[in-house]
Amino acid sequence: MTLIASPPPGAKATRNHPKKESLFQRIRNGSAWITILTIVVIVVLWQIIPQTGLINRVLFPTFTDTVAAFVQLLGSSYWWGDLTKTMSAVGIAWVIGVAFGFAMGVALGTSPFVRTAITPYAIAVQALPKVVLAPLLIGWLGFGSESKIALAVIICFFPVWIDTMVGLSLPSANEFKLLQSLKASKRQVFLKLQLPTAIPLIMVGVKHALLLAFTGVIVAEILAASDGGLGTLAKEFASQLNMGMTYAVVFVVVIIAVTLVSIADVVERRVVFWSEESRARKR
Amino acid sequence: MTITTQTSPLVKAEGITKIFGTGDKEMVALSGLNLEVKEGEFLSLLGPSGCGKSTALNIMGGLLRATEGTITFGGEPMTEPRRQIGMMFQQAVMFPWRTTLENVLLPVEIFGESKKEFKPKAQELLSMVGISEFENSYPWQLSGGMQQRAALARVLLHDPKLLLLDEPFGALDEFTRETMNQELLRLQNYANSTAVLVTHNITEAVFMSDRIAVMSARPGRLVGILEVPFDRPRRPELQTTNDFIKLVAEARSMLELQ
Amino acid sequence: MTRTEGIAQVAISNTPKARRKKAAPYLLTIALAPFILFVWWLSTDVLKAVPPILLPTPGSVIEAFPRVVGAAGFGDQVLRTLTEIAGGFALGGAIGFLLGILLSTSSRLRSAYLPFLSALEAIPTVILAPIIIAWIGFGIEGKILQAAIACFYAVFITTLSGLGLAEPNAINLMRSLRASRWQIMFKVKVPIALPVIFGGLQLGATTAIIGAIVSEFIGATGGLGYLMLRYRSSFNTPSYWVIIFIFLAIGLVVYLTIWWLEKKFVFWRSASINRPDLEKQ
Repeated sequence: MTLIASPPPGAKATRNHPKKESLFQRIRNGSAWITILTIVVIVVLWQIIPQTGLINRVLFPTFTDTVAAFVQLLGSSYWWGDLTKTMSAVGIAWVIGVAFGFAMGVALGTSPFVRTAITPYAIAVQALPKVVLAPLLIGWLGFGSESKIALAVIICFFPVWIDTMVGLSLPSANEFKLLQSLKASKRQVFLKLQLPTAIPLIMVGVKHALLLAFTGVIVAEILAASDGGLGTLAKEFASQLNMGMTYAVVFVVVIIAVTLVSIADVVERRVVFWSEESRARKR
Repeated sequence: MTITTQTSPLVKAEGITKIFGTGDKEMVALSGLNLEVKEGEFLSLLGPSGCGKSTALNIMGGLLRATEGTITFGGEPMTEPRRQIGMMFQQAVMFPWRTTLENVLLPVEIFGESKKEFKPKAQELLSMVGISEFENSYPWQLSGGMQQRAALARVLLHDPKLLLLDEPFGALDEFTRETMNQELLRLQNYANSTAVLVTHNITEAVFMSDRIAVMSARPGRLVGILEVPFDRPRRPELQTTNDFIKLVAEARSMLELQ
Repeated sequence: MTRTEGIAQVAISNTPKARRKKAAPYLLTIALAPFILFVWWLSTDVLKAVPPILLPTPGSVIEAFPRVVGAAGFGDQVLRTLTEIAGGFALGGAIGFLLGILLSTSSRLRSAYLPFLSALEAIPTVILAPIIIAWIGFGIEGKILQAAIACFYAVFITTLSGLGLAEPNAINLMRSLRASRWQIMFKVKVPIALPVIFGGLQLGATTAIIGAIVSEFIGATGGLGYLMLRYRSSFNTPSYWVIIFIFLAIGLVVYLTIWWLEKKFVFWRSASINRPDLEKQ
């Protein structure tokens, strides 16, 4: 039964990671200098090594070449369509995946009996690498955005489903007893106890789903080249051995991903303020 | 046994101040503590939470460095933990992946000594604290009281001169706690060691100690020392005598004076 | 932690009646299997509601099974994919574990590097696949690298946060015994972190498998992913589904292996959660 506790532990573990510090704190305790030094060393090596001829300069452009490519990419407008395509697919898939996952979690998670019965299947769904479906979906739905969205939904609904299901089981026996003593109806127990208790965990799943939706869309884009999107763009540049531009596209993806996660973190902290508060007090 | 004032102090703390954090977050945990612990005595640090009694204990044990002041153990300055000092904490700190015996032998492992050599002594101590039949059980198969008994055996394994006890039985229920206190007194007498107990329970402090250092909170400082003249060994009945109740009342008034 | 405990609290009593009550949901589990099979059969074979290019009939998949498994060189393809997964998992897991230990020892290193490493949580690592292929080609090394990158972060972050779980009193006890940093690390912190690290390994294994497959899809000369693309381009969907089931089996075997290892190495954890309250002496 405890098996199901394992699915997205990475997401859970990120919650108690060491606190993020402000830039000021980091300058004062000296860690900012380590950061800056590391970056400088990397940039210098990146600049020098390709020029020495030790490695192929076409495959490994220098730092300045890469920056030039990035500026060129930002200055041109032809890839805006790709960006929009990718992001809208991620957004649509995420919304569908979260709604679907939440509905499944509620349907299967409210009753402990059903929850236990369904657990082995949940493990199977988790154990199956769902990207294996990508070529099938592309073959069926074609190279358009439908296949991207379908794949991303299949990949991203899972953590929401599991976290909702597990979250609903979190209230303690005493909490259930309190509501029973108040003669609360099943619906009231769900709305006033189970759901609020589950929300912090559901938020973790929702955040995780965002990242997985992004992954799903990129995978589909790399595999199905004709519709466009950032994944397609990266693949095309790479196949032309235009590595500077490939790096630039990857860099754009990194920036978007980090921004999305930061926004999600802020939203999460707002929504589940009480859990943050109680965690802080426990320290 | 009454305390003879001639014995030289085992621990001597002079003007101990401990400040945590800096700037706005500065917190004075302990302010100008002067305290002597005499050889062979049982001393309690009594005070409300936040009075710095645990901080004082950790400084005595060498786990923390004082911000100001000096502290000596047997005449030498304390800068780091020592082998002759054994510490017990509020939790038994039994590692769940080790059997009871392995937990008791942990210090041997860390000191790099032969486990084989110490095994008979560890087993003897386990039978002395009354849990010899559990030596191959895991801590999670033991009750909280039994775990603390094992912790007692562990701390006594290297014949410590000084026992530093940070509310060791604070997490136990009242009944178990009383038995364990009796047990502690018996073993301290047997091992012939000095003990410093941190507690916020007045009755416990009076029952256990030769002297009580009463402390107050924010900032943590010493309010006064209370001598406890009762004979040893002490029996539970002592707690219902008038003298005992009077001393408890006195300790309480010292705590409330602040 | 609360997550496991919340569920695990249920199972304590061991009377026959309680055991029967505990087993009851699993009867539904067993009953569901033929039901799912039936729905699959009904929707494909009978109602023809699902296009066969997406989901073929159960019969055709079963028929295709011996053909796929018996095909020449099939064993080599399986072996190749398994090597990629295992290699990537070992590489990424080892680096993640060691880096987690390293960063846990110094708060300065942590605040210097954690922001960058945390970015790895956000990045869909598959975007690196085109670069990796351009760098080192379609060979097995690239797949291992892709899988390693995919699983690194989960192991790293769980190791790092697991190492922070030791109670201050446990550390204090060790320090009062004059234990060295490394004794504290390997006798206390690592064992306490193990349950969390195993969670990371579980997640890391899943992502390593995904990394290897995607990498094979994008460009490979062999392996199960390559085989899948060949079946798809010849519209041999039943054979394709056979390999999906093989991947399901691989995923389950990996999952259960790690789960079993966890039971072995972290035997005290589930036992201590389910500990019946001994009577106080």
